[in-house]
Amino acid sequence: MDLSVTAEDEAFRAEVREWLAQNLRGEFEQLRGAGGSGREHEAIELRTEWEQALGAAGWIGLGLPQSVGGRGATLMQQVIFAEEYARADAPGRVNHMGEYLLAPTLVAFGSEELQRRFLPGVLKGEEMWCQGYSEPGAGSDLAGVRTKAVLKDGSWSIEGQKVWTSLAFHADWCFVIARTEPDSERHRGLSYLLVPMDQEGVDIRPIVQITGSSEFSEVFFDDARTEARYVVGEPGDGWRVAMGTLGFERGVATLAQQVGFQRELDQVIADARESGTVEDPQIAERLVQAWIELRVMRYQALRTLGTNEPAAASVSKLLWANWHRRLGELGIDVRGAAATVLPAEPYELTREQAVFLYTRADTIYAGSNEIQRNILAERVLGLPRG
Amino acid sequence: MEFTLNDEQRDLQQTLRGFVERHASGKVVRDAAERGEGFSAPVWVRLTGEMELTGLAIDPAHGGAGASFVEVGIALEELGRSLVPVPFLVTVTAAHALGGPDVDAERAAPLLERITGGCVATVSLGENSVRSTGARAGVTLNGQLDHVLDGPHAAFVIAAVEDDDGPALYGIDLAADGVVVEAQATMDQTRRQATIRLSDAPATLLTPAGDAGAAAVERAREILSVALACEAVGAAARCLEITVKYLGERVQFGRPIGSFQALKHRCADLFVALESARSTAAYASWVVDGAPQELPTVAPLSQLVCGEALLQIASESIQLHGGIGFTWEHDAHYFFKRAKSTELLSGGNRYLRRLVGQRAGII
Repeated sequence: MDLSVTAEDEAFRAEVREWLAQNLRGEFEQLRGAGGSGREHEAIELRTEWEQALGAAGWIGLGLPQSVGGRGATLMQQVIFAEEYARADAPGRVNHMGEYLLAPTLVAFGSEELQRRFLPGVLKGEEMWCQGYSEPGAGSDLAGVRTKAVLKDGSWSIEGQKVWTSLAFHADWCFVIARTEPDSERHRGLSYLLVPMDQEGVDIRPIVQITGSSEFSEVFFDDARTEARYVVGEPGDGWRVAMGTLGFERGVATLAQQVGFQRELDQVIADARESGTVEDPQIAERLVQAWIELRVMRYQALRTLGTNEPAAASVSKLLWANWHRRLGELGIDVRGAAATVLPAEPYELTREQAVFLYTRADTIYAGSNEIQRNILAERVLGLPRG
Repeated sequence: MEFTLNDEQRDLQQTLRGFVERHASGKVVRDAAERGEGFSAPVWVRLTGEMELTGLAIDPAHGGAGASFVEVGIALEELGRSLVPVPFLVTVTAAHALGGPDVDAERAAPLLERITGGCVATVSLGENSVRSTGARAGVTLNGQLDHVLDGPHAAFVIAAVEDDDGPALYGIDLAADGVVVEAQATMDQTRRQATIRLSDAPATLLTPAGDAGAAAVERAREILSVALACEAVGAAARCLEITVKYLGERVQFGRPIGSFQALKHRCADLFVALESARSTAAYASWVVDGAPQELPTVAPLSQLVCGEALLQIASESIQLHGGIGFTWEHDAHYFFKRAKSTELLSGGNRYLRRLVGQRAGII
């Protein structure tokens, strides 16, 4: 294990830093700190323009091979870009789903034709994506998907309902898991379809969350249509494609996320000093413990970077989700009674109130704590299924 | 940037794992714990002789192999898996302390050569009542060293002493006149302790006066912390393996109890603690030589995180085993006793957490 950084890596870091300094200014200056979990509604139009600026400079799809228009960057370079991006307090990205889920899925499972049609839109920041996985009856048990699609007049006709679709109102396309073989059950007979959002058969209804804001939506498909050829992998092979998507490298995103976490923790520590609660030995101990655990998450991410093991993904998810939820609690505990009052009607939240409330979702979405523990116990430790 | 073990490191790991499983597990540990004063001489002779393990990170000029602390960490983890009853941890800590930048190399050399020759060395780095008298060349020590790990088997000890002009490291030959080594009965029988009484005992002053002495003492403490962290990871990993295996075999209500979700989820949480500890120990053992400026924070942090993981896993191991886990004949109690004893000897986890907080500038 040698964690030293090479001269090439340092040069790359300087290039990233310089570009961000030169470009995150002018009208984009106001985007610093905008967006991200719990605040996805902020400055969405300008953030989309920013995404296009990133694309024009070749900063989207860093890890994708050059043969499909990516940059073919090393893992270390991807980490450096993500860390510098977060350090510059650059805005929350508006096309996570396109860049980190759809694009690698197309590279792994998509035909050349699909890659040519859809990758440029992602890499230029021109086509935004959302994910159509969860349904009212298929949350943790994703194989319970009931949305159906049948070929009608040369195109797929889709019927059903998706839920917890983030940024659906902003997306141009949705990758949808739908049942394309009638009477099929569980993991069989599913297909991975690419569906345009701007059409009559798609109805988006925002879900008002615990925070009073709406990142997530319900999406209803009522004879929504997409071209017959817009299916990734073979029809009926959707489960394998979807599981492949869930298994992609996440270490880079995890390390970047930690830069934001460190900023949040630093703010809580500053608040504790300002309010004097840092003098309370219990609060002090919780602050130190949070700092320690964030370091440990970094060591964990560094050690497992690029390994793609199910163990690493589940351990990482449990660590960060629980850590962030506890930080949310600590953040308002250091404020005390003052944290019970909102800055404005009808339901405007301070940063620490938003973290306190929004982080209740962290331990639920993208595989709840309970599902992650099942995965570790059964697939990693090999304990018998019940 | 390289995140995984290289081939040589993996070979070392596999060799040691095989050795420990064949020659230093089960009955060997139990016999040493119950009848051999927590020390298996035959295992020690093989580890230091044919395997040359204590010289791993010692400079080749003194007969060592010149490896980094990463290799030492791998060895500590592998020996930790069975709580192998040999004084490896204290000996390599002494060796690394002696090889430090603030230690008088000429005076340290003969001690390092004794280590590569197979001698047991130990360290005593906590507060004590020892005071020095006399000139640098003919210095003698008076006072008492408590809780000296593996003291009963050691040939010499590297001790931190508070001199008039600040902390200093001394080497004390335990066979010298004026030295009395009294073995203690210990709750953790796999690692014994001694009380060492010094009455005009001759000693070698290893550090120059002033800041360098304080730095050498601090670095020695940090090395000890990282070593304990690495060892704890091995012990925790083995303890969890034993527990998970048992849950897959033990049948109640007509099914293996490991199929009950209440137990599965607890095992998953233990696995998360283990993985966190593993990453922390790996990072800390790299920091020793790779980024020493981080050591003051990372060392106590690693001891805290890995020690807590071992205590959590060892405690849960007893509960998940049920009645058999409470018996003398099962190995679970060895891990439990080692975990708690190590925590208490280091001043407790709250002390370590405070130390990290202060060094990180949070409190």
